[in-house]
Amino acid sequence: MSGEGHARADVAAQASPNRVRIIDATLACLAQHGTLKTTVDDIARQAGLSRATVYRAFPGGRDEVLAAVVDTEVARLFSALGVCLGEARDLTEALVAGIVEASTRLREHAALAYLVEHEPEMVLGHLAFDEADRLLATASRFTAPFLARWMSPTEAGRVAEWAARIVLSYAISPSEFTDLTDPGQATRLVETFVVPGIRALNAGGAVPLIDITPFGFGRDMGARPPEPVIRLPKSADPPTDRLTTDRHTNKRHAGQHSTSTVHPKGDRT
Amino acid sequence: MDDTRQRILEAAYACVARWGLAKTTVEDAAREAKVSRATVYRTFPGGRDELINAAVGWATYEFFVRLYEQVQGADSLEEVMERGIVFAHRSILEHEVLQRVMQTEPEKLLPILTVESNRIREGIAGFLVPYLEERGVAEGVDPKEASDFLARMVISYMSGTGRWDLEDPVQVAQLVRAELLAGVVAGPEPG
Repeated sequence: MSGEGHARADVAAQASPNRVRIIDATLACLAQHGTLKTTVDDIARQAGLSRATVYRAFPGGRDEVLAAVVDTEVARLFSALGVCLGEARDLTEALVAGIVEASTRLREHAALAYLVEHEPEMVLGHLAFDEADRLLATASRFTAPFLARWMSPTEAGRVAEWAARIVLSYAISPSEFTDLTDPGQATRLVETFVVPGIRALNAGGAVPLIDITPFGFGRDMGARPPEPVIRLPKSADPPTDRLTTDRHTNKRHAGQHSTSTVHPKGDRT
Repeated sequence: MDDTRQRILEAAYACVARWGLAKTTVEDAAREAKVSRATVYRTFPGGRDELINAAVGWATYEFFVRLYEQVQGADSLEEVMERGIVFAHRSILEHEVLQRVMQTEPEKLLPILTVESNRIREGIAGFLVPYLEERGVAEGVDPKEASDFLARMVISYMSGTGRWDLEDPVQVAQLVRAELLAGVVAGPEPG
């Protein structure tokens, strides 16, 4: 491997093409054995690399790889969403495309499915109460700018959060009425329930959004006490650029990260 | 529910409140309920796990009994939803046992709550169907599907308020009329 034998290990580790290979190998391991039974040896074997190479790319070992897997999968989801939201020609199309894309990716995610089945505590913590708020905030911060083509930023924030709620609800417990991975059924749900709701939001006048700090692609997850749910590590060396999420989404939010979880602060309208 | 079962569940819940989910044993619940271990096992043949799940289910049921009382006498579907959401939001914030267990043993509680949430959704949906039928649903809307959608949204706002301020009646009114009911009901709000 080209990264091996280089003295500047830190730089090489960040840039290493092995990172993606290791992350994809880890996903395959997680889909078979979950987090508890996956070792660095398993990951190395699956990737066809040596243990030493894995540690060179991820000096923190297994925990660092797992954190990077979360980061990468969130980034992949958002990047796919960015493409389909960007291509949409009208609001309904954007909502349907985003909902179908996210629902399909969540349903077909083999590693996620294994964890939900065998290690639910790894996943469920992010779906309830404060963590749910952060998840929703992250999703809506990313998708809202795409919707702002058709409405004010405040409304777009609301609608993006709403769409994220819908995706999560139908992903967590499939409905006997609606399969949101099916474009026809998703269109029906959006046209029946969501579009009239957006009109009503519009007519009601925008009420301010509460500001919630989204998490930055998983990296922050271990750094927020109390955090007993997900056993991802505190990153020993937190990334200097904590604004990854925002940089890809909405430049206006760059630098607005606050440490508090929730504080009443109106979004710009 | 027979008296013994009720008493054991209340006792188990009291033990969970005191010691948490992991440390509550069948012996604790038996002592608290003043029944024998054998009686607990006869009532809950699955033992500790069944008892703990049933205790969480019982607490959830109690919560919905109070929720049901809260929305009695509401004049409209809109008011039912408003009262229900505000009550559920406050009750969760003020629920000491829930908050403590969520802090200390979320990995034990959340899987149970996730199973419960399916029952909760069916319960809320079933509760809403007659209100929807009385109010009248929009053209092309199936009351059962609409009530399932509404129940999902109610649970979503109970689980996380997101960027809504549910302490603000103006926001609650808008949430209910836009994201919950706009596509569901027929015609303007009565009154």
